[in-house]
Amino acid sequence: MSNLKEVFMKILFLLCACISILAVAVICIFIFANGVPAIGEIGFMDFIFGTHWKPSSGEFGIFPMIVASIYVTAGAIIIGVPIGILTAVFLAKYCPKKLYKFIKPLINLLASIPSVVYGFFCLVVVVPVIQQLTHTSGKGILTASILLGIMILPTVINTSEASIRAVPDMYYEGALALGATKERSLLKTVVPAAKSGIMSGIILSIGRAVGETTAVVMIAGNQAVMPNSITSGVRTLTSNIVMEMAYATGLHRSALIATAVVLFVFILIINICFSILVRKKEKQ
Amino acid sequence: MKKLICTVMAGAMLALSFAGCGSSSSSANSDSPSGTGITGAITVVSREDGSGTRGAFTELLGIVDDQKNDATTETAEITNSTSVMISTVAGNNNAIGYVSLGSLSDTVKAVKVDGVECNANNVKSGEYKVARPFNLAYCDGELSEAAQDLIDYIMSSDGQAIVEKEGYIPIASGSEYKSKNLDGKITVAGSTSVAPLMNVIADEYKKLNPNVSIEIQESGSTTGIQSATEKAVDIGMSSRELKDEETKTLTAKQIAMDGIAVIVNQSNTTDDLTSDIIKSIYLGNTTVWDEIQ
Repeated sequence: MSNLKEVFMKILFLLCACISILAVAVICIFIFANGVPAIGEIGFMDFIFGTHWKPSSGEFGIFPMIVASIYVTAGAIIIGVPIGILTAVFLAKYCPKKLYKFIKPLINLLASIPSVVYGFFCLVVVVPVIQQLTHTSGKGILTASILLGIMILPTVINTSEASIRAVPDMYYEGALALGATKERSLLKTVVPAAKSGIMSGIILSIGRAVGETTAVVMIAGNQAVMPNSITSGVRTLTSNIVMEMAYATGLHRSALIATAVVLFVFILIINICFSILVRKKEKQ
Repeated sequence: MKKLICTVMAGAMLALSFAGCGSSSSSANSDSPSGTGITGAITVVSREDGSGTRGAFTELLGIVDDQKNDATTETAEITNSTSVMISTVAGNNNAIGYVSLGSLSDTVKAVKVDGVECNANNVKSGEYKVARPFNLAYCDGELSEAAQDLIDYIMSSDGQAIVEKEGYIPIASGSEYKSKNLDGKITVAGSTSVAPLMNVIADEYKKLNPNVSIEIQESGSTTGIQSATEKAVDIGMSSRELKDEETKTLTAKQIAMDGIAVIVNQSNTTDDLTSDIIKSIYLGNTTVWDEIQ
């Protein structure tokens, strides 16, 4: 009897595991089967390196959107990562226990705020400020970078904090014993020792920034043109899909799915980087 | 290696920000008073390609190229929702946009087009030219009794009264509706512009026919029409005319008219724009407010 139960449970666990595998497989098959023929029809070079996106005239070039996704993500990393790492150092090494109990839940709360709320906040608070400062419409790379920089903070802070805490105390104490100041021992010994964990946090946050849609679509301007300044409006790969999918038909629809293929490849590369890094860490 | 990448990336971002200093400075010239009270670059705000509102707007104002394709300037800001459109225009002195007459709010200012105010009367009389039809699309002869009855209700004087009350323009003057007390389930899907009107109509219809349940999905005109073609839903809602390929399988029934209001910021002193100026702005030929007298 107990044996039967064991077998049953084993099959149940297996089935549950299969569901997620199945989901990934079906998604892959769906987007590649629908997207790749569209890329073939448009022409690989015209699709990836074309600079004009005019579905109603039959032009499907997504190069401006690839560039936009890269710029916006880079901007988010430049803004979010230094703040995140320094916050993690503070939380791990400086923060009094009472304050920690207060700050930590707030950071976790930051992670659970829905992205549409971030988007609306940015639209009514950040956009007017940028508008005043730069005398442009206020929607663009800079605004999107600030928004994503804030959105990736929890990921960067939590992974960095965990890896800084994992560094053996003797590193820190050794540096202190050699006469280094507290700041110097932290930044020159502890943080470098935690770098692989910090890097994996950064890669995870790149994934989040590339994939973010709802918030970005509200504040990036969404012009499908090559950006010529840090304040010009851009359309990211994800925005392109979400904005036009509801109304698209025929080749336009397929081109949007093909955009998803490109996005998928992006995310795949990021995830491979992540697993290589993790494996390297395990070897150490 | 990593340092190299970092340096290159930092360099690229720096170069980008310098480029920004050069090109983003607006050519505002406060010496020449303009007719709009606004100086500097026009922030053109449009809807996404494929939207029913955008399709009707560009078609009605002739914002098209030689092949009749949408030619809205590529530098126009794009938004995929009416609420973001309104808050963008409300928060930016230099912005111009357009929304459905039914969803117009006080936070922005609707301008006259060619001297004609955007209101229900002018749309009805045909004087206000930026107006579009609301259509229902369905497979003729294959409708359930309840679905046919719902359409009859919308076309009746009672249904058209709701259309008018909601700020849209009635197009039929049918007779009074008499409830047949049917039962059944009707699914309706499509345009996000038609859906708010449809919701009100459905509520009123259900009061008269308590045994009928109506399910309304908002998915955009094209998806709605597609679902009706595939018979996934009974009725598709569309805020644009049906294309030729779509009318092969479906029948379109116009239920109302809707005006598209051209909106500017409250601080903009202009009350009236000609359709040529709006066209020129959306084509990207007029780029600063100072040029508009």
